[in-house]
Amino acid sequence: MRPKVSASPLVAFFPEASFGAALNCVGIAQALRAAGARPVFVCHPGFHGVFAEYGFPEYHLNGAEALSDDGSQRYWDAFVLRHRDTFRLSPADQIEAYVVPTWAAIVDTAERVEAPLRQLLQRLKPDVVVLDNVVMFPAVAAAGVPWVRVVSCAETEIPDPLVPPAFSGCRVDDAAGQAAFRKRYAAAIGPVHERYNRFRVANGLPALPTGEFIEASPHLNLMLTPDVVRLRRAVPLAEPDFVFLDGCVRAEGPFVAPTFPRHDDAPLVFTSFGSLGSIDVALIERMIGVFSRLPYRFLVNVGAWRDAYRQVPDNVYLDSWFPQPSVVAASRAFIHHGGNNSFCEALYFGVPSLVMPYCWDGHDNAARAEEAGVGRRLPRYDWSDAALAEAVTALVEDGALADRLATVGRTMRAAEGTRRAAEAILARLG
Amino acid sequence: MTGEARRPRHNHVELAQRILDLALESGMAAGDRLPEQGLASRFSVSRTPVRAALKILAGQGVAVYEEDAGYRLAVDPSTIDRTRADLPETDEELVYAAVLRDRAARRLADAETVTGLMRRYDVSRSVVQTVLKRLSEDQLVERAPGQQWLFRPAPDDLEGLDESYDFRLALEPAALVAPGFKVDGPLISLLRQAMERLATADEATFDVAAFHRSDHEFHAMIAQGCGNRFVGEALLNHHRRRRTASAARTVGVFRLRQSTEEHLAMLDQIERNQMELASDLMRVHLRMSRSQRPRLAGRGAPTLLRALQRIPGAA
Repeated sequence: MRPKVSASPLVAFFPEASFGAALNCVGIAQALRAAGARPVFVCHPGFHGVFAEYGFPEYHLNGAEALSDDGSQRYWDAFVLRHRDTFRLSPADQIEAYVVPTWAAIVDTAERVEAPLRQLLQRLKPDVVVLDNVVMFPAVAAAGVPWVRVVSCAETEIPDPLVPPAFSGCRVDDAAGQAAFRKRYAAAIGPVHERYNRFRVANGLPALPTGEFIEASPHLNLMLTPDVVRLRRAVPLAEPDFVFLDGCVRAEGPFVAPTFPRHDDAPLVFTSFGSLGSIDVALIERMIGVFSRLPYRFLVNVGAWRDAYRQVPDNVYLDSWFPQPSVVAASRAFIHHGGNNSFCEALYFGVPSLVMPYCWDGHDNAARAEEAGVGRRLPRYDWSDAALAEAVTALVEDGALADRLATVGRTMRAAEGTRRAAEAILARLG
Repeated sequence: MTGEARRPRHNHVELAQRILDLALESGMAAGDRLPEQGLASRFSVSRTPVRAALKILAGQGVAVYEEDAGYRLAVDPSTIDRTRADLPETDEELVYAAVLRDRAARRLADAETVTGLMRRYDVSRSVVQTVLKRLSEDQLVERAPGQQWLFRPAPDDLEGLDESYDFRLALEPAALVAPGFKVDGPLISLLRQAMERLATADEATFDVAAFHRSDHEFHAMIAQGCGNRFVGEALLNHHRRRRTASAARTVGVFRLRQSTEEHLAMLDQIERNQMELASDLMRVHLRMSRSQRPRLAGRGAPTLLRALQRIPGAA
């Protein structure tokens, strides 16, 4: 029998090792803390420090080696050289070159952390586990408490005959493109999916249908997808099992814009490609060259590569980290990679997106931005200076788009996704 | 820089600040006289710059001029923020701040010339020379052979930040326990007021700029109070360089507020003369401040990236 839930329930978050999932969970954890719960974070090896900065306890999983600090720079430099071109491929060509190897790595991680995760959850004795990941860990189901699945990637992560396949970047009306992608994906994913199913069965979970790496939670599934980009489904994702949050944005500290020597009172444009996306310094330098000729202020998140830049233009400001929600709220346009967190934040604050995707669900969110008319899609590499300048200018200067997005943003903020998520989680505890 | 003619001279503003410091240190109160000759003798200058400095203070409402009695303090000096925020800015100060801002934002190269800076900031040669002299005194630049000035290294990248924390961990706890630490009571009171305001501010209205001001003043106060002059001087120089690298140390408000509480706890121990405890708290404070954010992340990272390295033809 499950022990009685305390008045101050312990909520163990286990987000994947990416800033998008991590910071989305921070938003929900902040709302839970405000409601009197005790959120804690279980961290993948090598991914820690983020949650402590928001005042949450962190627990580290042992069992998989993290990169040493000393070797990391050389490692990432080599990574850029080896894989930059992978991000130049079409979504279909990325299946074999990027998506399948990524799944293989994700399954590696799941296998590696299974035992330490079981031990840690036994020790923590949480009242509920919140999993924000694209893969299921048998240890979570074995913890003996309700578990919540957070779908912080694009809605395409949950397949449906009417929904374009995940990572395809296909539009809803592109039936031929979807069919071709599905066929190629199914052929490529087989071996790694079979390996994952063997791992599940060996650890007490049933096998999943081909291509699926995580099931719906029998307790609660939280969907971040904003209403404005929701897809029609043959099998609706209905409450109470599925709760749509219409965005889920954390509370962040205030943003004070730096002083720009040029265009200091002009509209602000924010650029952030996520932590992986910032590794291509040459690409961002090329973009900065275009920015320098536009009459706007530009903030550019350059991740860990800030020291690689010199002679930054007077209307551009680089940093390795920004309080993103507060910055997006102050921006007139947001250039990003289509990461779900970034896309949701843009909509939440009523800011148009210029999506330049390079992998994973970024392709899907780029398609949604176009279809819903809340932004534009531009290839990550295949653009001319004039095309980038035109796209940025069009988004900044489009008053009608700004008005429509302002309404979307107001609706999303009123929905209070983080509070709704916290209430739904606590309600499942009885 | 526009409005050059209306702006007061740098040395007059500096003298006004020194007069304020003297008023505070000597326990003067509102209504006390500010004798021109006495101040001129104290600061080894003529009465002309003293009069100009007092005029600046009068313009800020800090002093008042009376026909018969000369200048008097209009307010209690302990109520005035000792940062220079309220004093008018000179061209030199504006350019000094702009150079630091632009260097931190990677807009200025490692080496710059006087004429290059004159052109960039649209100011006279003498203004640029004054700024470079001050930057040089603050050990932020050094003269290179020829016409160039070189920026000295600042902790403005991840490696530099790590080295900076190592340096501070070695010296700041030691500065607190070196024999002869001088406690600046009035300054501690002012810092405490500013920090208590920060500690109780909510996340949405937290004044990040005020935090950075109080952070700098707090750590500079420890360097200035240090009984070992060499340690104090090395720390002061380092703190000046840290100010040039503000862009690289953006952290969340939660940590800034936590950091403020750590500052307050250290002030408590310093005022109780429990310097060993203050020193231990400083060590913890610096270790807490060292950023632990992961450098890069992605799905399954770092396992993912190892796997990708094995993909034939992926490059």
